[in-house]
Amino acid sequence: MPFNSLKYFLFLPIVYLAFYFIGQRVRWVVLLAASLLFYAALNVPYLLIVLMLVAITTYTFGILLDRAKTTKARRTMLWSGIAANIFILIIMKYLPALSKGIIGLSKLFSFNTQTQPIRALVAIGVSYYIFQAISYLADVYLEIIKPERHIGYFALYLAFFPKLLQGPIERAGGLIPQLKARYEFNYNNMRLGILMCAWGLFKKIVIADRLGLYVNAVYNNVHVFSGLSLLLATYAYAFQIYMDFSGYTDMALGSALLFNINLTQNFNSPYTATSVADFWRRWHISFSRWIFDYIFKPLQMQWRDRRNWGTAAALIVTFFVSGIWHGASCGFVIWGLLHGLYLACSVFYRPYQKKLHKTLRIEKTWFLRAWQIFVTFNLVCFAWVFFRAENLADAFYIITNIFNYIKGARLEFLLSQGEDELVILAIVVFIYWIISATIKRCDFASFIKLSIYMKCLIVYAFIATILILAKFKHTDFIYFNF
Amino acid sequence: MELQNKVNQIFRKVFDDGDINITPETTANDIDGWDSLSHVNLIVAIETKFKIRFSQKELLTFKNVGDLLKSINSKITV
Repeated sequence: MPFNSLKYFLFLPIVYLAFYFIGQRVRWVVLLAASLLFYAALNVPYLLIVLMLVAITTYTFGILLDRAKTTKARRTMLWSGIAANIFILIIMKYLPALSKGIIGLSKLFSFNTQTQPIRALVAIGVSYYIFQAISYLADVYLEIIKPERHIGYFALYLAFFPKLLQGPIERAGGLIPQLKARYEFNYNNMRLGILMCAWGLFKKIVIADRLGLYVNAVYNNVHVFSGLSLLLATYAYAFQIYMDFSGYTDMALGSALLFNINLTQNFNSPYTATSVADFWRRWHISFSRWIFDYIFKPLQMQWRDRRNWGTAAALIVTFFVSGIWHGASCGFVIWGLLHGLYLACSVFYRPYQKKLHKTLRIEKTWFLRAWQIFVTFNLVCFAWVFFRAENLADAFYIITNIFNYIKGARLEFLLSQGEDELVILAIVVFIYWIISATIKRCDFASFIKLSIYMKCLIVYAFIATILILAKFKHTDFIYFNF
Repeated sequence: MELQNKVNQIFRKVFDDGDINITPETTANDIDGWDSLSHVNLIVAIETKFKIRFSQKELLTFKNVGDLLKSINSKITV
């Protein structure tokens, strides 16, 4: 059941009312049942089995890990639990790619094979809750948290519906105590939650889906375009994916807030980052923290004797995994490796860069900051090309033709949806900018403090914008596929 | 206290700042430039100075300088 469907807007208030009127002791049952129902609404029955399997396996290994007496036994339990989770993830997400690879190899060595590649399984949400399960086992092993004894709360930690399909990837230490806390009606949370849901929906159906029309017009048929069209479509994609994913996250955070639960904010103005490292502190924060804590840090420490080279290698491996996590395709892997490479290079040049800025006395100047934002944004967009392009050939065509203006700056794609649509896009972006500036970069608490007239004006303008300007043709959230 | 002074010297050298004065409560947020990249230099410098080796688990669970000092102390007094 996607957040941008009518069903969800009936489902959410019903779940809230059931949660509100039932006794505190069984509130977790309402949330767990609602989460399973939410997952079942995808009409893929085996997904429920996978979720339960991950929950039971991880719960059991967590308990066994805690009971283990020796360091060796604890380590065995940790790695067995992680292996079980990764095995499930491979079966669900990577089996078709693996089978295709094996068939390709056997053909290369001219083995006669008639085998067809395995069909892809629907794996919505799986990589998110498996990452949560792995972080839980690691945190129990590191004694950061105690293992959860109540299987109901543990299953709810993995399955809680606002973050089930696309994250945020939550830590057990942050979420389980909130799920167990006594619920008291909180007017501010209710108001903020509804506002965040509306704001997220606006970002998705008014902005992201509209930008998507232009991006698709170019990226689905790249060879017709060159120069400025490719550049603008790539920039448009950067904002489409941001609006899409941050819109989803706002709706997830808003939905959870109705139940007094604070989920992790995944975004913090990522395109104002002044370096790629800074970008990863602002983009998909719950995911970047995960890969930083559970892949990068252990590898960096393992290879610490090699100093900068060890750190650089750890960064490349970490972002290679990040690419694979998004899907078993060359585009995602190159996207991940590019980010790994950007960061690995910065390990070596950063000290010299700092010294240079100090010598030139431009450390805290606005133009250095503006330049750094510009460079970072373009580096990120360069990587987005591989992330979005239909295949590698398209990606290389875009890269090699983005500065090719011989064919002329053909911008027909901007008119591919009609002149009116272009005007609407401009209006929509303007409204987004106004509202965004008013609520100070999505700080909804400051919105609540505005005068009643200002609030009414914004809310009515907002509703009118959604009703008049939204793209009501249903499209999936981009991060649904990961 | 003597151990804290010795570790403080290492901090000053790694972060190139003669004004650093660590306490057991000091965290990465309190020292300018203490990020994941300089952290690895700090750890290697401490290991070399005291001829000790931290375990992965210790390295992943240090919350502040106090944890670091405790771990060094337990290794050099063995």
